Amino acid sequence: MNLQISNLSKTYHNGVQALKNVSLDIPAGMFGLLGPNGAGKSSLMRTLATLQQADSGTVTLGDIDVLNEKEKVRKILGYLPQEFGVYPKISSYNMLDHIATLKGVSNKAERKELVESLLNKTNLWQFRNKSLGSYSGGMKQRFGIAQALIGNPKLIIVDEPTAGLDPAERVRFHNLLSEIGENTIIILSTHIVEDISNLCSSMAIICLGEVVIKGNPITLTEAVKGRIWEKTIEKADLVNYQKELQVISTYLKSGQTVIHVLSDNQPDLSFKPSVANLEDVYFSEITTRMEAMPV
Amino acid sequence: MFKEIFLFELKYRLKRPATWAYFSMLLVFGLIFSISGDVPASEKAFVNSPLSIARMINVVSIFGIMLASAIMGVPVYRDLEHKTMNYYFTYPITEKGYILGRFLGSMFILFMVSLGFNLGLILGFEIGPFVGIIEPERYTSLNLWHYIQPTLLIGWTNFFFAGCIFFSLVNLTKNIMLAYAGGAILFIIYLVGLTLLDDIEFRKTVSLFDPFCYATQINITRYWTPVEQNTLTVPLTKTLIWNRLIWVGLGLIIFLYTLFKFDFIKFANYKFKAQKKDLNLDKANPNAALIKIPQVSQVFSNSLNFKLLFSLAFLEFKNIVRDHFFKAILIAAVVFLIFDAFYGAPLYGTPSLPLTYYMLEVKNFNFVVLIFILIVFMTGEVIHREHTVHYNQIFGALPIPNRLIYASKFLAIVMICFILVNLVLVSGVITQTAKGYFNYEFQKYFTDLYLIEFPRYIIYTLLAFFIHSLVTKKFLGHVITIAIWATLFALNSFADIDNNLYLYGYTPRYIVSDMNGFGHFGPALFWFLFYWLSFGGVLLLIGYLFWKRGTDSGRKARWQIAKERLNIKTIGALIVLFVAFLGSGIFINYNTKTLNNYRTEKQQIAQTAAYEKQLSKYHQLPQPKVIDVKVVADLFPENRTSKIKTTMLMVNMSNVTIDSLHLNWGQEALLKKAINSFTIGGFTPVLGKRYDNFGYEIYAFKKPLKPNDTIEMILDVTGSYKGFPNEGYGSEIVYNGTFINNDFFPSFGYDISKELTSDKDRKKHNLPIKDYIFPDQNNPWGKDNLLFNKDGDYINFEGVVSTAPDQIAIMPGYLQKEWTANGRRYFSYKMKEKLDYFYNISSASYKVHNDVWHGASGEEINIEIFHHPSHTYNIDRFVKSVKNSLDYFTKYYGPYQYKQIRVLEFPRYDTFAQSFPNTVPYAESFGWVGDFSDPDDLDYVYTVTAHEVAHQWWGHQITPSMTRGANQISESMAEYCSLMVMKEEYGIDAMQKFLKEELDRYLTDRANESKFEKTLLNNDTQTYVWYRKGGLILYALQDYIGESQLNSGFKAYADATKFSESPFTTSIEWYDYIKSVTPDSIHYYLEDSFEKITLYSNKTTEAKYKKINDNTYEVTLQVESKKEYFGGNGELLTTSSDPNLLDIAIFDHDEKNKKGMTVKKPLLIKKLWVKPGKSTLTFTTNKLPIKAGIDPYNKMIDMIPDDNLIPLEEVTD
Repeated sequence: MNLQISNLSKTYHNGVQALKNVSLDIPAGMFGLLGPNGAGKSSLMRTLATLQQADSGTVTLGDIDVLNEKEKVRKILGYLPQEFGVYPKISSYNMLDHIATLKGVSNKAERKELVESLLNKTNLWQFRNKSLGSYSGGMKQRFGIAQALIGNPKLIIVDEPTAGLDPAERVRFHNLLSEIGENTIIILSTHIVEDISNLCSSMAIICLGEVVIKGNPITLTEAVKGRIWEKTIEKADLVNYQKELQVISTYLKSGQTVIHVLSDNQPDLSFKPSVANLEDVYFSEITTRMEAMPV
Repeated sequence: MFKEIFLFELKYRLKRPATWAYFSMLLVFGLIFSISGDVPASEKAFVNSPLSIARMINVVSIFGIMLASAIMGVPVYRDLEHKTMNYYFTYPITEKGYILGRFLGSMFILFMVSLGFNLGLILGFEIGPFVGIIEPERYTSLNLWHYIQPTLLIGWTNFFFAGCIFFSLVNLTKNIMLAYAGGAILFIIYLVGLTLLDDIEFRKTVSLFDPFCYATQINITRYWTPVEQNTLTVPLTKTLIWNRLIWVGLGLIIFLYTLFKFDFIKFANYKFKAQKKDLNLDKANPNAALIKIPQVSQVFSNSLNFKLLFSLAFLEFKNIVRDHFFKAILIAAVVFLIFDAFYGAPLYGTPSLPLTYYMLEVKNFNFVVLIFILIVFMTGEVIHREHTVHYNQIFGALPIPNRLIYASKFLAIVMICFILVNLVLVSGVITQTAKGYFNYEFQKYFTDLYLIEFPRYIIYTLLAFFIHSLVTKKFLGHVITIAIWATLFALNSFADIDNNLYLYGYTPRYIVSDMNGFGHFGPALFWFLFYWLSFGGVLLLIGYLFWKRGTDSGRKARWQIAKERLNIKTIGALIVLFVAFLGSGIFINYNTKTLNNYRTEKQQIAQTAAYEKQLSKYHQLPQPKVIDVKVVADLFPENRTSKIKTTMLMVNMSNVTIDSLHLNWGQEALLKKAINSFTIGGFTPVLGKRYDNFGYEIYAFKKPLKPNDTIEMILDVTGSYKGFPNEGYGSEIVYNGTFINNDFFPSFGYDISKELTSDKDRKKHNLPIKDYIFPDQNNPWGKDNLLFNKDGDYINFEGVVSTAPDQIAIMPGYLQKEWTANGRRYFSYKMKEKLDYFYNISSASYKVHNDVWHGASGEEINIEIFHHPSHTYNIDRFVKSVKNSLDYFTKYYGPYQYKQIRVLEFPRYDTFAQSFPNTVPYAESFGWVGDFSDPDDLDYVYTVTAHEVAHQWWGHQITPSMTRGANQISESMAEYCSLMVMKEEYGIDAMQKFLKEELDRYLTDRANESKFEKTLLNNDTQTYVWYRKGGLILYALQDYIGESQLNSGFKAYADATKFSESPFTTSIEWYDYIKSVTPDSIHYYLEDSFEKITLYSNKTTEAKYKKINDNTYEVTLQVESKKEYFGGNGELLTTSSDPNLLDIAIFDHDEKNKKGMTVKKPLLIKKLWVKPGKSTLTFTTNKLPIKAGIDPYNKMIDMIPDDNLIPLEEVTD
């Protein structure tokens, strides 16, 4: 069962075009959505999560018309929004139990088992009777994951789930996601490239509402293999390099400015070949489209 | 720094659409009121008089607490809600600068928004004259001060203190509910004040403490005549200044407390604490990876959905009711209801027993406003709940059908509504129990609350749901919904739009009575409630289509969603509801319009104008007069039908030949009449002409009626009701408590009293202004006819009446026979003496109380009290009053003309007592259920009964002519007589209480006069002149010249005029007899009182005493006296400089008399000629004096009666 997105477009009432003819074919497994802030990732995910209308295009999941059969989608959906709140005075146990009821888990024993396992899985067991209002950011995020996993969802959408998590939490979260059954579609949006390369078997990069590239992260990385060169430069010279070469990223290494350049041949001997990674793919696609470069 | 925050707030607010929405809404309100002239001003005042502007600004500022909460509740809360506080508070700003900036910025916006209303008024009053809804001469030129003054004094001060309170409550507690609770409690304080305003005793206190200055302003301007309304702004009295200081001060204190208390850390911190505590527990669980998430089965079935619906609804419901502030609002509401019920329904300041229907009625007035606002707030909270806590995205993606979420939220509010109706039950039972009244009548509570009131609240909820679903901004939704409701209210109360079919949620008024229960109102209420529920259902469904789930609030997206949701099911439901709405609407319209001829106010006025234009040519046309009436009446109360046959003997008393009989049935009313048979002189008469719209028919006599010819007319008419009306009780024939009078049959010829009287209406329809209805005292036609009925002078009467077997039917005369036939009960009555042509037929399940009055010369009069079986509370008072009245009146004015006097109760569809010959019908609510347990309360049963018995003389023996001033002979005399009977029983102090009420009503009513105030000698229509002023004037007159002296004049007058033949007596003749017994020195008082409009302003400015020795005290009083003459519109004519004879008195401590009543104890009382202006008077008393003053018993018509008597202060040398 694939999620087929074709020609999806959306313009907000303030004139911002959030999605332009987005077409994607998402198979079961972990799918990464990569893109800078404001690229349209959240818009796409909210549309898939039935929370937002599209102007045109179609989305199908097996035989479900996602845009028009919202109720069917919701029955197999697990969704973790980028930002969310909780009822501050309710405990996580009660809240999960409530949501499980709403997700159709009507058997009491099953529900109990489910909620308890989720609480254990997300490491919230000790706090199950604490009110959600007292949770830290990480705990709240874990609660968010737990609720998204209720009811054996076939489509899981997690929007920037690791934002605000500490490294250990992030690892745990990755493990959690990777344990989910194989015939489940998991769409993960992030702007952390490493997350995608660690987890996803397929991915897409979205920029300014458009899909700029899609495919398997390894295959995509192959395409730039041998074409990435790096050099440590004086910061003042950056402008000159940018004029002459396609500088795709700049970063600091031990306080010195290092640039990555995309070029079929070695620009000159002062450039060293660099091992291509997904980040280079990302930047090579983004920089041409975005004016501002991260420094 | 403050400046930046302040300016940022302004800029932010000015960019918000809500700010402009509020502003425009007020602007539109202002335009509507000013252009349509729906303003609180009487016909003689300018629609834009300073007083009317002040009152509107005041009222808008009360409902403006909504705006205050919307604008002032959020400026700091915003940083919490949007989480901007996380960084905003780290900026180098101080708490004080931040609070002050946000506060003043928002307050500034609030003030500016409020000016939208002023701007609307100003524009509207300029446009108004050209639109022409109100005649242009009722607009005066623009005077900006008339807007600035009340805005500064009342409008902005209200906004300021309310704003302070909302701002502070939210900042101190971070809870928006608290703002609601604060608003509700303020509103309740205001409502309590309104309730207390009915009682003169409480006015001063209410003036001081009304949070919105409304009562204060009303009390100050209560007696303002049109001239004053047109020229004066509300003056800064001491009370008003204190009121403003108290509330602005309170607001300021709370704000300052917030300002100094507010702390960024505290405001932002409560999450941090909890987090630290648990931090050490938050360790990774190494086994987590091993835990398997179990497979579960998911069921999505209808039955499960059904269960979910209720569990979600119940969850929502619990969310609301668990809130402490919601509970606080409920408790405050119950307190208000109990309060209202405790003091509610007083007559003449005397409370009524806590009957269940009174307990139920407290919900009908101001309480509804509170309920509506509460429903709107709660609906907003419920609809936006997920959004408020940012849980909307997770929630929106859950597999719960839209309809389930929407319906569960709706259901939750319905449950809240159920709680709300039960508040009335709880408060009612508490009040009844507290008052020691245990007849709870739960079936009345349940019927009224669950079957009528509960659906009404649901109808409100449906509207609130609709608006809140369409408008995604919560506060904007609140304001719009309440604005819609306020518009409906304004349309209904000011713009004369009264068709309940067009006013959302309105239903016909109904009255619950002990005698007649819920009566015949069921069908009308059912259909109207059904109609509005269907319409509300349509709204709810439309709201459902657009209701926002998820994150997309773009217009396009919401239309898309609506289209998506518009499926077979919703279309089907919409059609069903719409058909139900339309169908019931058509059915209601058929009942109100087709069957009961509903007319708008405007159409009614036009019809009345047409009546005069087409028919006034028949005015004073000679018609025969009735001399003998025989009635056979069959009443069928169970069907609300009666078949009555009357046989009338008529004589041509004029000196011309009469060739046709003019029957005037009047315009079609709720009681429909069908003629079964009709003969004149044994023949069926031929209809000559019929004016259909006015029920006016002309029949030619077969043989013209020559002077003194006699002819018999037999008219057999069936009266019944059809369907139900838009409004109106149809109370003539009811299941229990039928009360029909001679209006059942047509009158003869043109009825001048049905003409339009209002100058405004007459001008609009090109009719000449009419100062008086009745002709002057020298008009021969007027003198030839009796005031109450021109169709007959004195008549003979007998009749047979039948009714349901469990009822007693009553007609004039003495019961001759009573029998049962065909399962019905028959009564035959015959009056041996003559009576004026004015009779009634009544029927109800009565119990009868019998008593006998024995006269001084051995005569006996039977007293019969026909009352509802359970209304036995005050029968003794009725009997005693009848007896004492008969004593007094036979002693002073001659014998009673009948052998019996009957008092009978009728249902409370009206509140009055009326005197028919030998019969006094008395409304259920008027005395039968009064609570006279406090001896200080006025025994109005006693007074009013005496008044009605007095009418047996003044009205039925001395029956005045149909000329102006004649009503005083009947009404002022009856009022005077009742005062005398009351004085004998209760003493002079009870009189003062009563006279003060009379004075208050006189001053209030003359201020609201829509034509011009008439003199006692000429008044023909103004009840406040004939009851209030008449009573006051005659009471003071007997005080001047002596009771028996005045009564001797009245006796002579009675002897000269009773049962006279035409020409009948006029007010001139009456006045002549009064003059003849009044010494010359008091003639000035007669002229002032009968021929002019005279108001005193007496006042004691200083009162001191010096102790000379133990038995001698020297008292020095400084008094001020003023006497002014006014024109009919309240314009000052002259100020008198002649001295007046006035009471000056010095008192000891008050004491209790034998009846337990608090009375004043005079040490010295003197009548002195007091010059206008200041006077210093010295007296000596032989006991320690306590208080003293001028006219201390309020015998004069005094503009400010409360400053006459003041406590004495001791001076030592």
